[in-house]
Amino acid sequence: MTENILETRDLSIAFGGLKAVDKVSFVAIPNGITTVIGPNGAGKTTLFNLISGALRPSSGQVMLAGLDVTGHGSEKLQAEGLARSFQITNLFFEMTVRENLRLAAQRLEPLSHGLRRIRRKGRAAEKVDELIARFDLGAKAFEIVGTLSHGEQRRLEIAMCLACEPKLLMLDEPTQGMSHSDTEETADLIRSLTGDASVLLIEHDIGLVMSLSDHVLVMHQGANLAEGTPAEIRANPAVQAAYFGQG
Amino acid sequence: MLDNLDLSMRANHVFFALLTAILAVLGVMLAITGDTFYLRLATEALILGGLALSVDILLGFGGLLSLGQALYFGIGAYTSALVLREVPSFWGAMLAAIGVTLVCGIIGGLIANRVRGVYFALITFGMAQVVAKVVYNTRSLGASDGLIGVPVLDIPLGFVTISAGSPLAFFVLTFVIIALMYGGVAYLLSTPFGRVIIALKANEKRLPFLGYSTWKPRMAAYVIAALVAGISGALYPMLRGFVSPELMFFATSGNALIMVIVGGVGTLVGALYGAALLTLLKSIIGSLTEHHLIVIGLIFIGAILFMPKGLIGVVKPAVQGRLTRRARKHAHLPLTARREGD
Repeated sequence: MTENILETRDLSIAFGGLKAVDKVSFVAIPNGITTVIGPNGAGKTTLFNLISGALRPSSGQVMLAGLDVTGHGSEKLQAEGLARSFQITNLFFEMTVRENLRLAAQRLEPLSHGLRRIRRKGRAAEKVDELIARFDLGAKAFEIVGTLSHGEQRRLEIAMCLACEPKLLMLDEPTQGMSHSDTEETADLIRSLTGDASVLLIEHDIGLVMSLSDHVLVMHQGANLAEGTPAEIRANPAVQAAYFGQG
Repeated sequence: MLDNLDLSMRANHVFFALLTAILAVLGVMLAITGDTFYLRLATEALILGGLALSVDILLGFGGLLSLGQALYFGIGAYTSALVLREVPSFWGAMLAAIGVTLVCGIIGGLIANRVRGVYFALITFGMAQVVAKVVYNTRSLGASDGLIGVPVLDIPLGFVTISAGSPLAFFVLTFVIIALMYGGVAYLLSTPFGRVIIALKANEKRLPFLGYSTWKPRMAAYVIAALVAGISGALYPMLRGFVSPELMFFATSGNALIMVIVGGVGTLVGALYGAALLTLLKSIIGSLTEHHLIVIGLIFIGAILFMPKGLIGVVKPAVQGRLTRRARKHAHLPLTARREGD
């Protein structure tokens, strides 16, 4: 049996008396798209924060590619093959697109290059070029990120995550605030990511969730309410009551 | 095609070249007229410019506001003075100052880097005040009188030996040392390592998710800044023949900050222009009225209101825009209009 890329076991965190994430156990689909859905306040982003090391769980375990990484900081997890994006665009707004990607990709080069002048060739530079082409940012490569459109910034946010060739890619509402056509394009992009990594997604657009996901995890009040294929989730009466029922 | 950050640094170098030219002309003119006062004033401005440079490394690149950078300036100055009074060796004094500031910078960094933002500013302020008061009350360090009687040095440079008593020679030597520090810091900030320091200012919270420690680059920036301040401070007693606890007081740290803001935060070279301007103004206005601090204060307020990016910040976009257009032409990229970074 191959190791699961990501598995959580009874993962929990409480803020005061509130159990924001309550004994969530799930296994992400290798080289597929696992989507976490649930109403606002269900604990989706908190779950992301626990897995990506932004928060330390009160109890439970996170296994990344068979390795217990519970309580590892974000910095360490990144080296262990995890990358994440943010619900609210989180970039280096005063730098250009290239500079942002370069910063994300320069860890591909040996540490000894850290005190040499930045090279125009080599792995990091190649990665930056590749990502700029793939994410259609060529026309904006030398623009300051703060001047980009929202859709472009969201695309760059995903591109940043890919720069270090992660095994697990966690995207927190990548289509948040996007126009319909941008959302469609981003969906195609996300689908293409499964060639590089396993994807864990938080998404609100139910149509998108159903068409994109290989596996869906429904959270409700911090707990794992249901799990299954999109079709199974659609047919699940508990999910319908808790989630779809609310309109 | 170069990145914007590289073009920005090149634009700084243009202004550094201009500064070099101005100082060269000035130096020659003053030497011909046999002046000593203004040569020594210019040397002092450069030394204080080194302190301002150290403030800008932290503020303009790491996004860290230090209100106590004079601490390391003073430590460098006192170490240098103590060594020189025992052994009149330029290299001995410089090496000792580097060693002591390095150790103190690491200790101070371990303390100050436990906190961020306003608290960082307050801790750096507090550390400098504590050490300054200790020095002020320590008899063996000259207490409130400071250390006097630093001998006039002969400085062997291998090919030639110059005297610290010669205003022109010491001015040139000081400029070379400041220029080396400017060049070294500019180089470091242009490396992948430097990019991480710059990213600290831009968005520190994002860095861990790209796999970077935030503590290490912050600590590195702090220690480098301490060294730059310490080396500048080490030159001070060679010029003035004495050191006093005032060198560590908040007035010194605050002045360095004003120099950086008036000159242009995040430009490195702005610190040197700011230091030159303020030192000159203080001297000129100070000879006219004893209330020169009021005038300096008003200039500072005016600079913040009307030139928030400082002297260099006002003229830099034109230079950087030119460099950008040239680079784009070389790279066969469209010459689109764009906002120039600072």
